[in-house]
Amino acid sequence: MGTVKIFYKDGCPMCPMAKRLKDNLQENNVDVHYYNVETADGLAEATFYRVLALPTILVEDEMENGLGEWRGTVPKVEEVLHVVQGL
Amino acid sequence: METTDLNLFVRTSEETILDWDRSKISDALVRETLIDSDTANEVSREVEKMIRKSGIKVVTAPLIRELVNAKLIEKGLESSRRMHTRLGMPIYDVDNLILHPNKENANVPHGPEATNLTLAERIKKEYALLSVFSQDVSDAHMNGDIHLHDLGFIDRPYCSGQSLEYIKKFGLNLPHSLSMANPAKHPEVLLAHLIKFSAALQSNFAGAIGWDAINIFFAPYLEGMSDDEVKQLAQMLIFEFSQQAVARGGQAIFSDINIYWEIPKHFVDTPAIGPGGKFTGKTYGEYEKEAQRFAWKLFEIYKEGDGSGRPFFFPKPIVHITEKFFHTPGHMDFLYHISDVASDKGNTYFVFDRGETAKISECCRLSFKLEESDLLDAKEPWRMRYCALQNVSLNLPRIAYLAHGDDAKLFNLISERFELAVKAHKEKRSFLEKLLSLGEDGPLSLLTMNRDGMPYLRFNLASHLIGMVGLNEMVQIHTGEELHDSRKALKFGLRIIAHMNLLTDKIKRKEGIKVVLEQTPAESTSYRFARLDLRYFSPASGSVVKGDIASGEVYYTNSTHLNVKNHINPIERVTNEGIFHPLIEAGSISHVWLGEAQPSKEAIADFVIKTFKHTTNDQIAFSPEFTTCNKCNRTSRGLSDTCTYCGSGDVDGITRITGYFTKVSSWNKGKLGELKDRYRNNEFFFEKQEKAVNE
Repeated sequence: MGTVKIFYKDGCPMCPMAKRLKDNLQENNVDVHYYNVETADGLAEATFYRVLALPTILVEDEMENGLGEWRGTVPKVEEVLHVVQGL
Repeated sequence: METTDLNLFVRTSEETILDWDRSKISDALVRETLIDSDTANEVSREVEKMIRKSGIKVVTAPLIRELVNAKLIEKGLESSRRMHTRLGMPIYDVDNLILHPNKENANVPHGPEATNLTLAERIKKEYALLSVFSQDVSDAHMNGDIHLHDLGFIDRPYCSGQSLEYIKKFGLNLPHSLSMANPAKHPEVLLAHLIKFSAALQSNFAGAIGWDAINIFFAPYLEGMSDDEVKQLAQMLIFEFSQQAVARGGQAIFSDINIYWEIPKHFVDTPAIGPGGKFTGKTYGEYEKEAQRFAWKLFEIYKEGDGSGRPFFFPKPIVHITEKFFHTPGHMDFLYHISDVASDKGNTYFVFDRGETAKISECCRLSFKLEESDLLDAKEPWRMRYCALQNVSLNLPRIAYLAHGDDAKLFNLISERFELAVKAHKEKRSFLEKLLSLGEDGPLSLLTMNRDGMPYLRFNLASHLIGMVGLNEMVQIHTGEELHDSRKALKFGLRIIAHMNLLTDKIKRKEGIKVVLEQTPAESTSYRFARLDLRYFSPASGSVVKGDIASGEVYYTNSTHLNVKNHINPIERVTNEGIFHPLIEAGSISHVWLGEAQPSKEAIADFVIKTFKHTTNDQIAFSPEFTTCNKCNRTSRGLSDTCTYCGSGDVDGITRITGYFTKVSSWNKGKLGELKDRYRNNEFFFEKQEKAVNE
């Protein structure tokens, strides 16, 4: 099963939607890493994944290979679950 | 005892010999320090007693001063002693300096003019550390926690970037000059103005003098000229810049010329200035062909090299690769042309301006996105003048030794050092403000000249650079792995730089000054930090510093670069080093060390396109190596001890030291150690070449 990385910052218009997505995914027992790009950890991770738009949602497998990504948009929880569960 | 009783002569610093006069000591103490006249008299009497007792017949003014200083220390008057300090050098050091070359900056040749420069620098350096900076900042520099760059040039800003439009519009009208020149009517005259103005700027800045979009702003002067005439002009420009070793301190002007194949969007509708400083009635968008012709010819000259076939050291040609570049007719031919030069001579710097946002290059490869006010300036490009006031680098490995593996301590120490660097910037800034406030009668009159309603130096827009040395070693000490060892180590390195990046934002908000991160070239700083850490942090540092400890050729890896010794293929190096670049606004570059390999222009062009499209790397340069013979004046590929043509041992090696080419014989020990370690990418490019032939 894949893990999800969500990048956000305070004050970005679509980021509250990304937070809801995080909550929904966690309710579905998905491993979610939530990064504020205004912190050193968040900014470092965002730079590594070339995050240029917020929010960005990435899905990776356990070997950190990319399975799916949404940059500057927030997908429906089902879409993410679909990728996470490898369906 | 009356002062006249003492039969003693004093050799003064004004080249005279005077009779002893004790009151001169007390006068100087009252004038230069904050002590009262009674104490000053007491000190002078005690010093006189000491001299009298010694039986000496002639004393020098410096000796008296040191005796006075010793008395001040005895009396616990340390702050007065500091104020009473005499700046200077021992005879032994001056002797060495006059006889032997200065290796701190490989761009300083050896000669009487260069010696003058170094002597002046030494005094100004001491002055800066005693008088401009507070004690904690000075001490941090002295012990190697931080490095204050170009202290010998304390009374000038660091570097500058500008537009040829200023000279085209206002001519060469410098404060206190013996003659004033109106705007140039002919291209050769404009060229002469450019070189002279660059030399004037070199005397007012410590480092690089950059010119934006040089081929575009020359274009209106080139109409009607034949290709041969344009080539001649290009040749004059490059030779004139590269032969300015008759300028300040015999030092060639550290000059950058920025070149575009396309006309950048922000200049397309800008009214063009032509001969006589008059608007031509056309926009720069209409001069694309002339601008391209000049760019092409400049690179023809770079390809030919100097009279011995050596690469030109200056001016450095910086070609901007933008989205628009790839939509401009002829771009592939031009890319092959400049790639050919990169492979053959190494001159070309490929700078990547990705995205559709308009960008401008300042000095120190500091680029920034144009805001609305800057876009207005782009309509009147003579206003586009930028500078950095100072550069301060942090010794990152030192912080890791002190943190002992504790993350919180590590990040706190980075913040502390960062704040110290900001303090140093504020102190230099206020010192420069004092000099600039003297206006056209002051030492920086050139920078205060006002030809367009504002001073030449736009102080309010100035940047303050904070560099880093040895991220690779910091991560190695803290995590046990170097940056190239694992993704975890690379990400930890990113956390450090992200932390520093966020600190720059915080400082901008708090202090209202523009602080930016820079990949410091650290030509001598990486050597200095490594040496100091070997002294203070052994044995831990012994296994971390790079190079050869036995020969003293030690260094830390520059900025956020990966270990130069590691056998990584160049694509991986450029990709992984490029991951850091979005966090660093100035000076980011990856070097591809070619050694003896001479890849095809197609292989270089392919590499450049892939770097632009698939990485976040800001700038790359390819560095071949050469051996030039002082006997037969011929130049061959690779570094060797003898000339491959005539067998003479009187040869010089030439390659890129940090951001520029120079003779290896002038390099400091740290850089020599790095040169031995550099992994040349011979196999990679040979394989590519073979593959291309087979295909």
